[in-house]
Amino acid sequence: MFIRTDDRITTSQAIVFMTNTILGAGILTMPRNVTQATKTPDAWVAVLLGGIIVIPVILLMVKLSQQFPGQTIFQYANRIVGRLPGKAFCLLLVCYFLIIAGFEIRSLAEVTLFFLLEGTPIWAVVLPFIWVGAYLVSGGINAIARVYQIVFPISMFVLLISFAVSSRVFDIDNLRPVLGDGFIPVLAGLRATIPVFVGYEVILTLVAFMENPRQAAKAMIGGLAILLAVYLITVIFVVGGISIDSAMTSTWPTLDLIRSFEISGFFVERLEFPLMVIWLMQMFCSFCSFFFQSSLGVAQIFNLSYQPVIFAMVPIILLSTMVPKSLQDLLLLGDMIGMMNISLFLLLVLLTVVWLIRTKGMKQHV
Amino acid sequence: MLSSVISYFPTWDVWLQAAIACLVPIVASFVYKKTYSLAGKGRNPNTAENKKDPDPPAPNNSPFSGDYATDLATIRERIGGNSDLCSREFRMAKLNVRATLFFVTGMQNDRVLDLQLMEFLMFEAGADVYAEPERLHDQLPFNNLFEAPSLDSFNRSVLFGYTGLLIEGQPSGLLIECPDGANRAVQEPLSEGLLRGPRLSFTEMLSVNTSMLRRQGLSEQLEIKTFQVGTRLQKDLALAYIKDIVNPDLLEEVKARIQKMDFDFIAESGYIEELIEDNYLSPFQQLQNTERPDRVIAAMLEGRIAILLDGTPFVLIAPATFSMLLQSPEDYYERWLPSSLLRMLRFAAAFMALMAPSLYISFISFHPGLIPTELALSIIEARQGVPFPSLIEVLILEVSIEILREAGIRLPKPVGPAMGIVGGLIIGDAAVQAGLVSPFLVIVVAVTAISSFSIPSYSAGITLRLLRFVGMIFAAFLGMFGTILFFLLLCSHLTKLKSFGVPYLTPVSPFRPRDWKDLFFRAPRALMKRRPAMMKTQDDKRKS
Repeated sequence: MFIRTDDRITTSQAIVFMTNTILGAGILTMPRNVTQATKTPDAWVAVLLGGIIVIPVILLMVKLSQQFPGQTIFQYANRIVGRLPGKAFCLLLVCYFLIIAGFEIRSLAEVTLFFLLEGTPIWAVVLPFIWVGAYLVSGGINAIARVYQIVFPISMFVLLISFAVSSRVFDIDNLRPVLGDGFIPVLAGLRATIPVFVGYEVILTLVAFMENPRQAAKAMIGGLAILLAVYLITVIFVVGGISIDSAMTSTWPTLDLIRSFEISGFFVERLEFPLMVIWLMQMFCSFCSFFFQSSLGVAQIFNLSYQPVIFAMVPIILLSTMVPKSLQDLLLLGDMIGMMNISLFLLLVLLTVVWLIRTKGMKQHV
Repeated sequence: MLSSVISYFPTWDVWLQAAIACLVPIVASFVYKKTYSLAGKGRNPNTAENKKDPDPPAPNNSPFSGDYATDLATIRERIGGNSDLCSREFRMAKLNVRATLFFVTGMQNDRVLDLQLMEFLMFEAGADVYAEPERLHDQLPFNNLFEAPSLDSFNRSVLFGYTGLLIEGQPSGLLIECPDGANRAVQEPLSEGLLRGPRLSFTEMLSVNTSMLRRQGLSEQLEIKTFQVGTRLQKDLALAYIKDIVNPDLLEEVKARIQKMDFDFIAESGYIEELIEDNYLSPFQQLQNTERPDRVIAAMLEGRIAILLDGTPFVLIAPATFSMLLQSPEDYYERWLPSSLLRMLRFAAAFMALMAPSLYISFISFHPGLIPTELALSIIEARQGVPFPSLIEVLILEVSIEILREAGIRLPKPVGPAMGIVGGLIIGDAAVQAGLVSPFLVIVVAVTAISSFSIPSYSAGITLRLLRFVGMIFAAFLGMFGTILFFLLLCSHLTKLKSFGVPYLTPVSPFRPRDWKDLFFRAPRALMKRRPAMMKTQDDKRKS
């Protein structure tokens, strides 16, 4: 057919979707979280290890979703554990997505108010952002994935350029010694690195939208690999550039790294501005992902039509944005999201076990 | 515990904001839907499925009575009131029957009419011609000879410029000699100037335009299908495509949309564009218009469909994608390296035409710290005497530039340069001298204007001109943040937009690596072996 009406995404779109969903606030804050946890220059080992640990989690989600082709978690959870527990689990997931969406916008608003728009009321930043997001989300997964495909190459380009230029302040000694205190600090760092990958739960719905769900595992691992590479580069360059001590104390270490040097003779003297631009766009992508997931979830749990749910989601997201009272609250919320992430994962494991027992053990047709 | 939870409960002003947050999109979407249905009135839903409308009832088809005197009287009664209608009654000498020629003055070649037609009919047409009345078609030596099916169509055709012939004893009237009204000569394309390439442009005559397409090359696959459009004043519209390349589903869709157009008069191809496009509230054009046959034929070879309308030199190409708006046929005529450079330049220019004033506003009003210090200092120094905020300053200059441009198009040619001098002087120099705007802004606006001139298609240019003002408003409220929001909004809109089912931003997204060869770059021809993937053509090889 020439004119397509189905809402499916290609494998490459799925990869970008996965990467862009997770790649949000993390770029700016992650080096601090990780270095605070490890307290040694081995932060990058912790990131690498965290990424590797996440892979089986992702595979589990992909495999589970592949058992129910064309269905999202909001549809198949009922079939596994029954109507009520299924709905409860899905609602938890929606709440989780909403909290992350609020967290993302709030971090964005904090950074914007601090660096770009001092003295502007926070709602003036948050409201238009949510509205533009609502406009995009109303276009369905295809429109969202296409915007990601535009934004992603731009942000990768700028990010890599920024880091390449920052190599002038890069000092390899800042990264030494490798594993000087053994593996204990790295393990401690894992506590901070796994939450960096928060958002991979989108797999539970993403697989249902793929044109070739068979390639889902490859796509999701691919998305994770890109992400891991970006995070590794970030943490290495930040720690190498501004040393572990500054990374631990600054609120937005990546921005501090980029602000720490000037390039003369260029239109913008400091690359902080292009970095801010791509970061804002990346936050938009990440936010839209969670916005989409939660709207889709509510629509599918309660059998509502998708468009009106988006309108209802807008004020809820705003409220979720406004809940933290200060930057400290926000950072605390970030930690809490990490905890929620782990508990949700445990619930999901429970779900999988139930499914295994029912299909393999009791030979039921789920 | 409980009190700490309560302390996080949102205060009433947050609730108010939430209410606003909820209301604005609902109101916006309501207004959008209302406008959409309002603008879409008189247009049928545009899917191929529900196109099976019954054909509009033919306007009172009164047949020929077959009696010469009655028919003559009826024709005279119906259209005889037109003072430019001539009817010449004569007697065919060899047959001894009466006949009448009807024609409208000025639409026939008089020499042919007098010397050849009349002479033949009056003195030569003989019994051999008239022996078998039902085979009259074959017997009369005219190239263009139709039998009018009804009196009404006979009348319409005569008034449109055909020569009508009514012969005693014949069951119906005949139409001979096609209209030959005033027409201008073929000229160079005015709206799309060029240095290298065919200097041919379409004219107002459909037959001339289709012949231009035919003359591009020998092919039996180039198919041209004609439709009648317009409910009150009917006009010819032709679809041209290459039969073994075009995607049949696309062709069906275009045909269905053309047939569903419901408007009394289609004056220009812009009418068609508005009546068949996918989203008529979008600022972006979803069909490309051009007056260059080479562009049309190239598009047809990519699997697109050309829509030609009688009476306008502008031909529509469907479907259109964003990248087409920034491409020029000359890219393919010149060497590929410079062409690629020029093409990238155009993309950069389009970006500047869209964003430069918003960037100026956000840098000057919000983030002077982000530009190099010396530059910021000199700009601020130059802006010392300017009493307005930067938005007003930019608006003054932008609006006057737009007025100047608009005036420049309408002005008669001898006045044009004079106005250019006056306008340029006033805007460039006097406004700065008077302290209305800063000299730096003059540079920004000039760069913007020049950039927007470099966009090959005028229609795409005005879209960017419109959006530039939207971007300026965003920037004036939220600075850089607003500009980024504007960019994201634009991206969101463009990704939702489709032209006849082809996503507007193809091949950027959905990502089609094969088509990237002809996007920012113009790859060497040896590499472009296949037609664009986005068109889903039947035959996608360009090389055997």
